[in-house]
Amino acid sequence: MMEIGLSHYLILTTILFSIGLVGVMRRKNLLMLFFATEILLNSVNIGFAAISYYIGDFTGQMFAFFIIAIAASEVAVGLGLLIVWFKRTGNIDLDSMISMKG
Amino acid sequence: MEMLLYTALFSPLVGSLFAALFSTSKKTLIAGVIPSALLFLSFISSAILLTHVLNGETVQVEMMTWMATGNLYIPFGFAVDQVSVTMMMVVTIVSTVVHVYAIGYMDHDAGFNRFFAWLSAFVFSMLILVMSDNFAGLFIGWEGVGLCSWGLIGFWFHKEVATWAANEAFIMNRIADLAMLIGIFLVYWNTGTLQYTEAFAAMPYLDHSIVVMMGVFLFIGAMGKSAQFPLHTWLADAMEGPTPVSALIHAATMVTAGVYLVVRANPMYDLIPEVGIFIASLGAFVAMFAATMALVNRDMKRIIAYSTLSQLGYMFVAAGLGAYWVALFHLMAHAFFKALLFLGAGNVMHAMDDELDPFKMGGLKKSMKWTWIMMTLASVALAGIYPLAGFFSKDLILEVAFVEHHYILYTVLLLTAGLTAFYSFRLVALIFHGEERHLEHGFHPHEAYKFMLWFMAPLGVLAVIAGMVFKSPYFEMVTQLLPRTEYHIHNPVVFWIMTIGTQVFVIAAIAYAYSKYKNAKIDKKTEEGFFYQVLFNQYYIPQFYEEFFVKPYRELSSILWKQVDMKIVDASVDGIANIFYKTGVNTRGMSSGNLSTNLKWMVVGLVILLALAVVFAVIVQNGDAVISVLHDLGAI
Amino acid sequence: MLEHILSILIFFPALAGALGFIVNKNSMRAYGVTVGAIEFALSLWLWFSYDSGVSGMQFMESVSIIPAFGITYLLGIDGISLFIIIMASFFTMIGIASLSPTKNEKNLIITLLFLQMTMIGVFAALDAIIFYVFWELSLVPMLYIIGAWGGPKRIYASVKFFLYTFTGSLVMLVGMLFMAYFYHQATGQWSFSILEWYRLILPETYQLWLFVAFFFGFAIKVPMFPFHTWLPYAHGQAPTIGSVILAAVLLKMGTYAFIRFSLPLFPDASVFFMIPIAVISIIMIIYTAMVAYAQEDIKQVVAYSSVSHMGVIVLGTFALNVEGITGSVFLMIAHGIVSGALFLLVGVIYDRRHTKLMSEFGGLAKVMPNYAIIFGMMMMASVGMPLTINFVGEFLSLLGFYQQSHMLTLLAGTAIIVGAIYMLAAYKKAFFGEITNEANRNLPDVNKRELGALIPLVIIMVWLGVYPKPVLEPINNSVESIVQLMHDKAITPAAKAAIPDVSKPKPVIQRAPAHAAAKHTSAHEGGH
Repeated sequence: MMEIGLSHYLILTTILFSIGLVGVMRRKNLLMLFFATEILLNSVNIGFAAISYYIGDFTGQMFAFFIIAIAASEVAVGLGLLIVWFKRTGNIDLDSMISMKG
Repeated sequence: MEMLLYTALFSPLVGSLFAALFSTSKKTLIAGVIPSALLFLSFISSAILLTHVLNGETVQVEMMTWMATGNLYIPFGFAVDQVSVTMMMVVTIVSTVVHVYAIGYMDHDAGFNRFFAWLSAFVFSMLILVMSDNFAGLFIGWEGVGLCSWGLIGFWFHKEVATWAANEAFIMNRIADLAMLIGIFLVYWNTGTLQYTEAFAAMPYLDHSIVVMMGVFLFIGAMGKSAQFPLHTWLADAMEGPTPVSALIHAATMVTAGVYLVVRANPMYDLIPEVGIFIASLGAFVAMFAATMALVNRDMKRIIAYSTLSQLGYMFVAAGLGAYWVALFHLMAHAFFKALLFLGAGNVMHAMDDELDPFKMGGLKKSMKWTWIMMTLASVALAGIYPLAGFFSKDLILEVAFVEHHYILYTVLLLTAGLTAFYSFRLVALIFHGEERHLEHGFHPHEAYKFMLWFMAPLGVLAVIAGMVFKSPYFEMVTQLLPRTEYHIHNPVVFWIMTIGTQVFVIAAIAYAYSKYKNAKIDKKTEEGFFYQVLFNQYYIPQFYEEFFVKPYRELSSILWKQVDMKIVDASVDGIANIFYKTGVNTRGMSSGNLSTNLKWMVVGLVILLALAVVFAVIVQNGDAVISVLHDLGAI
Repeated sequence: MLEHILSILIFFPALAGALGFIVNKNSMRAYGVTVGAIEFALSLWLWFSYDSGVSGMQFMESVSIIPAFGITYLLGIDGISLFIIIMASFFTMIGIASLSPTKNEKNLIITLLFLQMTMIGVFAALDAIIFYVFWELSLVPMLYIIGAWGGPKRIYASVKFFLYTFTGSLVMLVGMLFMAYFYHQATGQWSFSILEWYRLILPETYQLWLFVAFFFGFAIKVPMFPFHTWLPYAHGQAPTIGSVILAAVLLKMGTYAFIRFSLPLFPDASVFFMIPIAVISIIMIIYTAMVAYAQEDIKQVVAYSSVSHMGVIVLGTFALNVEGITGSVFLMIAHGIVSGALFLLVGVIYDRRHTKLMSEFGGLAKVMPNYAIIFGMMMMASVGMPLTINFVGEFLSLLGFYQQSHMLTLLAGTAIIVGAIYMLAAYKKAFFGEITNEANRNLPDVNKRELGALIPLVIIMVWLGVYPKPVLEPINNSVESIVQLMHDKAITPAAKAAIPDVSKPKPVIQRAPAHAAAKHTSAHEGGH
């Protein structure tokens, strides 16, 4: 049986992060964008937790909790805005949200 | 003494400022009379100073500091010595006469007051030029006379030709002035001073080549003012100015400033005889060259202008050969008779409603008896017939050339003497003798005002006696300062052959001119000939300058502005600015407002930053190696 | 009061400008003239109390601002800056007084007063940071003046003016920071005081790099070829008052900074770059003079002529001897007076006809004789006629550089030829000939308001041309100390040789026995 070490966690983190990144770049649906963001955040969480465990310092795990808290509040605010937006325009397509042009 | 000096110097300035007060108002006689009276005062003071100088007393004053910085110290210093007092007398006599003459000549001109402001300002500048005891003061006067000459040539500023000629004269003089300035710099950096006496005293200890440079540069300056080839074209064009101006500035005084400079710098030119030879050769060349142009010209004033040019050539021959006092003597004599000639020409112009072509005149001696007499006297003096002024001064130059064994120069000058006689009497014959051709053209000539004639009379007297009476006292006086060289041909046979031969030659030339032009027959065949055309077109030199200097300068200027400055220099600046601007325009798509696009760019930025972090880490790890590479490049 | 006179000179106009917001619109001009006159009187008092025998800094003030970095509010003047300050206050005064009626007069006058603060600040500052602050601040009012009161292309011109000079200044700022850093390295202390920096002897390679950094800032300001193209636009679009101040004072910042920073801080680099800079100056002189000749707009002629004259100033500065630098400082004053007057004169005709094209004019000498006379005098001064103010500066600058290079001086001397060509040609086109344009036939001559501005300039122009001593002497003393400093600091043999040692007695030149001098019967010493 293969021992699961730090590198496995980090590989997992990287894979998740990449998935999230691609999702952030490619998804046009705002809801899906939120999901992708969550994946990004959680991939980082895994990384923090794993590293923290392996070097025996709990700061990382503490940080992960912070991130979870922030992600939760972010989703709460974000979903609220999303619902308002959907009520007003009837869709949540990113390409239609271009009122903030540079 | 000092008081006299200041009176002589500053009364023309006062006169000029006085007339300038009225310069924009209507003609007032007082604006002409007061400056004339003040000039007369200046003349009296100069005359008293002359008596002092004759007794061997010279004056030198330092009025105040002009510039002082570093080791440089330039005062306003003035000196009245044997040379400058000669010039002062010439300037004040001629200018007093010309001022009074101009009261009559400019009688009906709207710019009467302005004219006297300029004219007196000119005299003031000229006096500064000749009285200054240092090179800087000389330069003040030098530029001042140039300025006044500009204002007076272009006096009738509504005429395009006049203003063009004024600018031409100014710019051409400026070219020479640059050389003069360089000469002054050379003097300063090598002798440490600009005072004549100290600078000349230091020169024998300098490197020969440096003195040669000084001599050459200062002489180029002199060439501009004295209109020597190749800077001569402005003088003929300057005849667009009023005739009193031509008499005063472009015959008697300003154009002789170059000769004065060479005479003044005689201790320097004595050190560099090779430059002297060059000056003499150029002088002889110009004498001949100008005389040939005078032969065929059909403009009365231009003929006299070329004659002036030719006589300046004579003066330079004398000065170049070291006969400084002879040069100065001819300068003086020439000033008298040439001013007279010009003033006579002015009378003729007035009588003929500003017609200048002598072929349209003829027979004027009936209606203009006095003008005829005076112009004939002046011409005889110019031709050098015994016992008038020209004989003593001009023939002396021939003797100088002969005694100094410069036989080529001698021959050229002798031939030129014949030419001089010819063109002078061609003019006299055409204007005053023969049939009254002007009647066909509807002119009604009349003699000038009486007072104008009366004031021309002193010049007439001087033209007659200046040579005979003044020669020996002048020699005694001026050679206290200038090298005392007498030029005698020791063999009496040679002397008499030469003197009589020259006289006969000149008289023959006069007779030929009379017989040929008494009836003003225009010889068509000669006129179409090659030589006539070349001479008539002034050897095509003005055209050459226009074609090869003026036009290219104008076109090049235009190209530099429109092509280089706008399309290269400025465009490259705008180009750099445009790079930033275009970058902005092209990248504004990044912030299109589309969240998806923004996120993509965010990722790109992330990648770049990560890459930089890696590079930085590498540099930090191999720090020493990188620093040494940079050090080799000289960056640190 | 005298010990704070520089601060008063700097901040009085700004304070008065701020108060100007509450002044009634109709009395604004009187208010502005009064403030300008008080300021000018103060600057004259400064001159009066200035000790011209002392070569160092006077009226120094020092307040520490950021001690940790050695940034101090340090002011002081010497003979070099004194007259430029007086000129700045003089031009602001007559500029306001001669202002032709315009929209938003109140704002314009307030802007001018702020501009005056920055100008005097630049010339009085002895701390690099304070200098830099005023240097940059001076752009703002000028940007506003060009942008708000300018011609049709004013926005383009003002933005170009601002960005161009600002870019150069940033490079200069980097140079200043490095300089302070090197000072810190050498002494262990932070200081931005120029006087402290003077004591620092840098290795030659450092000098070269720093010289180039400073050069960018200064050269664009001067403006030197090929960085000059903002100037014709700025002048072309600026209102008369803007052009006057720009030409008379703002351009002098660049040349002044060369003397204040580049020469004494980097003597070896100055010698190293002397010939290249001289070549650039000669290009400026000849090239811009030719471009000026080709212009159709009389204001552009004057604008390009400014560049040409600035070339002579830079040349004189890099003569690196007392004669040349004194000449170039004097020429700064001279050029300020003359080109300021010329821009005022162009403004006179622009107010009447609302065009500056020479082809629109011709024969003006007949309808406006007084105008033609004053213009003619100023033109002759610009051409460098002796006994006018310009000649003294030009003569000394060229004389000074002659010691360094004969050929280059000969080339630079063509300034007196090419200068005459474009000026006389322009004068001929505008003033001579017949009146061809009917619109010119009844133009009124210069009025009292315009004469009030022009007559003082004419008087100064002649006065300092005939008797430059009161100005030349203080300049000379300060320049001597700078040259001496440079000579002492120079480390390379080439620099030691090129920069003369002032403290040494005058070189003795062998003279013949004084038989020539014995002839004078009377000699009168001394001046009046």
